[in-house]
Amino acid sequence: ANVSTPTAKRITTMFAQLARRAVRPAATAAARRQFADAAPAAGLMKLNFNLPQETLYDAVNVKSVVVPGATGEYEVTADHVPIVAEMKAGMLTINHEDGEEEKYFVAGGFSLTHEGSTTDIVCPEAVKLDDIDAAAVTKNFEAAKAKAASAEAGSIEAAEAMIEVETNKAMGNALGLAMA
Amino acid sequence: MTTPTTFWRLAGVSYVQYVTKATSCLRAALKEPAKSKAMTQETFSYNKSVWSNGEQGAKKLTDSLAAVGK
Repeated sequence: ANVSTPTAKRITTMFAQLARRAVRPAATAAARRQFADAAPAAGLMKLNFNLPQETLYDAVNVKSVVVPGATGEYEVTADHVPIVAEMKAGMLTINHEDGEEEKYFVAGGFSLTHEGSTTDIVCPEAVKLDDIDAAAVTKNFEAAKAKAASAEAGSIEAAEAMIEVETNKAMGNALGLAMA
Repeated sequence: MTTPTTFWRLAGVSYVQYVTKATSCLRAALKEPAKSKAMTQETFSYNKSVWSNGEQGAKKLTDSLAAVGK
């Protein structure tokens, strides 16, 4: 096309701009689609398990996760309904693709299951049962019970002692000790 | 605000304080070497500096928050 005359140049530029504007939304839509996370394999769910100091699992496909929810323990599998739960001190079990079962003791935190079989688990600390000292748990449990009994009811000291009692009791139960 | 139902909330302890305390309990009951590694997460310190005329004074290491206001 002859774009030497000013009018022709203006018209060509207008067409170019219109064409670019028509293409841009489609291009950005395609680009946006590219940013979507890949769906986990059929029958598996994607797990993100993070501590503040360390990432334990980043977008790993697993069969299921058993979460120690504060209002009850539940297992998350592929296509689970979205759910957000606070976790209580207890055992978190990951059932891997190859059938292996991995257990962590968590002190608290949250588990968020999203649409599309992705679960985010965040907690301040997660340890293997082998790393917990049973003697220390029993000792701390007894000390915490004594503190809770002697503290003023409803005070912060009493609450802190109760937290210690609860956490040590959960650790003892996880280890299979009789905690009373 | 809904009525608090957990014992810690009723005593005036926030969720973050609650979960931090539970985590400390967990770390205190670990075996070596996991314990030393976990305890590094617990270390913290405070710096205190006094502001005057819109200028921040020199920062000094403080032992505890309770001593800061004095």
